[in-house]
Amino acid sequence: MTELTLYEEAMCCSTGVCGPDPDDELVEVSAALDQLETEIDDLDVSRANMQHDIDQFLETQRIYDLVEEHGPSILPITIVDDEIVAKSEYLSYNALKAAVTDRESAPEA
Amino acid sequence: MRQSDTAARAVVEPTSEETEFVFFSGKGGVGKSTVSCATATWLADNDYETLLVTTDPAPNLSDIFNQDIGHEVTGIDDVPNLSAIEIDPDVAAEEYRQETIEPMRALLDDEEIETVEEQLNSPCVEEIAAFDNFVDFMDSPEYDVVVFDTAPTGHTIRLMELPSDWNAELEKGGSTCIGPAASMDDKKADYERAIDTLSDESQTSFAFVGKPESSSIDEIERSTSDLAELGIESQLLVVNGYLPESVCDDPFFEGKRADEQAVIDRVESTFERQALATYPLQPGEIAGLELLSDVGGVLYDGDEATVDVDAATRRASDHEAVDFDSLTASDAVAEELAPVEDTRYLFFTGKGGVGKSTIASTTAVSLAEAGYETLVVTTDPAAHLADIFEQPVSHEPTSVGQANLDAARIDQERALEEYRTQVLDHVREMYAEKDDTQIDVEAAIANVEEELESPCAEEMAALEKFVSYFEEDGYDVVVFDTAPTGHTLRLLELPSDWKGFMDLGSLTKGAAPANGGKYDEVIDTMQDSSRSSFAFVMYPEFTPMMEAYRAAMDLKDQVGIETSLVVANYLLPKDDGNNAFFENRRAQQGEYLTEIKERFDVPMMLAPLRQEEPVGLDDLREFGTEVTGLARLLEDDREEVTVS
Repeated sequence: MTELTLYEEAMCCSTGVCGPDPDDELVEVSAALDQLETEIDDLDVSRANMQHDIDQFLETQRIYDLVEEHGPSILPITIVDDEIVAKSEYLSYNALKAAVTDRESAPEA
Repeated sequence: MRQSDTAARAVVEPTSEETEFVFFSGKGGVGKSTVSCATATWLADNDYETLLVTTDPAPNLSDIFNQDIGHEVTGIDDVPNLSAIEIDPDVAAEEYRQETIEPMRALLDDEEIETVEEQLNSPCVEEIAAFDNFVDFMDSPEYDVVVFDTAPTGHTIRLMELPSDWNAELEKGGSTCIGPAASMDDKKADYERAIDTLSDESQTSFAFVGKPESSSIDEIERSTSDLAELGIESQLLVVNGYLPESVCDDPFFEGKRADEQAVIDRVESTFERQALATYPLQPGEIAGLELLSDVGGVLYDGDEATVDVDAATRRASDHEAVDFDSLTASDAVAEELAPVEDTRYLFFTGKGGVGKSTIASTTAVSLAEAGYETLVVTTDPAAHLADIFEQPVSHEPTSVGQANLDAARIDQERALEEYRTQVLDHVREMYAEKDDTQIDVEAAIANVEEELESPCAEEMAALEKFVSYFEEDGYDVVVFDTAPTGHTLRLLELPSDWKGFMDLGSLTKGAAPANGGKYDEVIDTMQDSSRSSFAFVMYPEFTPMMEAYRAAMDLKDQVGIETSLVVANYLLPKDDGNNAFFENRRAQQGEYLTEIKERFDVPMMLAPLRQEEPVGLDDLREFGTEVTGLARLLEDDREEVTVS
């Protein structure tokens, strides 16, 4: 089981389809995460944004510390099985896939 | 004295051990508050523990019960078994915002909190907060019955629709526009129970209050069928304020009364599955327990309806006649209507049933006659411009038979389709530019398509279309017959909100959206009083006045737009209705006219009540001569204005 968690800024709509123009980055990352979840059986994807899921920020010490130190500009943070694989940017489909498959092929800790 | 049980009684009277709920819907000014108060009082008098909940932003429960009520459940002094609470939707939304923000304070500094606060200033958040008010009171085992004096019809229906969407979203584990706030997951059970209760006919009754006017009944018909689509049957219709036979003693009012009775006959056949109750217009406003219990008696005990001029709260003899001329100035009105240099945008806004389509159309005809190229647009889904002009009116501007005049209406479905196409094209293009992507573009598109099935997408679509009329070339004046105030405000607020979102950058990390500048321009135009005029249409009674005033304050506070004009419509004619009943009504109108003048402090357009609503160009031209300032547009001595 691989877990991928995305911590994002406070926003009304994580899909990017909201407002006069869709948000390209959010549309892309939403599609990428959906596709990865379909392609990889053993992958569990979750997203937390500060407006809707503040609890997850407060309860995850590492994230709490990073946001407290750097402010919300450190977001989004991508975590794959407890390892931070990206900060301050959304990963592309390819990069996300690489991060996940690296994990999967890595020996169990 | 109980004469007979009525069908209405069977709808509102509790029948089981469980708490029952009665919701009253209806536009402002139809007497919804009065009927809710009368119903709650009647229930309490019949020994049911009753709670009355009002979410009216301009509540007048304190006037009706002659006692301060406010934001806490308060026992009504003179009515055993009755308690009431006034929920201010603004306060509720603010509380909700603070609850959402509170946990973030641990993590974010003041500046960042402010950013989030700004983001939470969205219509969506207000919808959620408003719905929470219902949910809070849908678990009230200490009462036999809870009577809700709800927000206006369309709003209510939206509230009802939202929870099902929320639940679907929660199950998907995502977050959306209407999205879950911090504690949303915990609330899921509450929401679900509330929806179940709402659709359970044995526990919940929906009732509509309307006036004996076609437009009012049409509106209720639409709302009823919207509710039916959600599996909710409306069970009671109260037609309030019909002209009593005994006071109609001249052709003008006899004719009016005959029209009203025809509407009531129509209601009887159209709404045959619902209980129907009627209550007559009274010479004064309904306040105090005696009149309330009269209403309850007529509606629920089958008492005979009576009209007692001597019991009126305002007596004509106590008042001097209002000098209409002192209230208005044709020149000042005409100045707000005619274009100066660039295109002038006129917004006629106000609640449904105040006659703003007719006023907007009449103004547009007068402007066109004065030689200005004019476009009249309606954003109201219930638009009846086609009926007013007796010409087809469509999504794109077309002539309605008068030189210099075009008309158009926003077709919600087409607007939504246009918006969907625009968004989907944008996404396709984005992926087309990234040829190295391994993403399944069609699946991504399908996702976006699914996201577009949201109430927010509908709002955005309507807004897009609204803004597009600012880009129409070749008109000297564009007259907007806007949607009912709440909706309009949201449309108008949205540009600011989206602008906020864009500036904040959290929604739109990276590339700035191409549409941003367009909204800035629209807001600038609306805020510029030499280019835009906002006219609030109302009739001189308490609720319509307060609703308009509140909406005007919101426009000013939230969007920085000043009101330019007020239109006081449906003024009782001087030469008809020569009896004490109408003298009292006139005195009451006069009092509110004076108050409107003081509150708004802008030029007033006065428009008379007519025997028949004007239909067709001839009628509209003629009506134009009776409305303050419109005839002035046609006069030669007006300063010559050149328009590019």
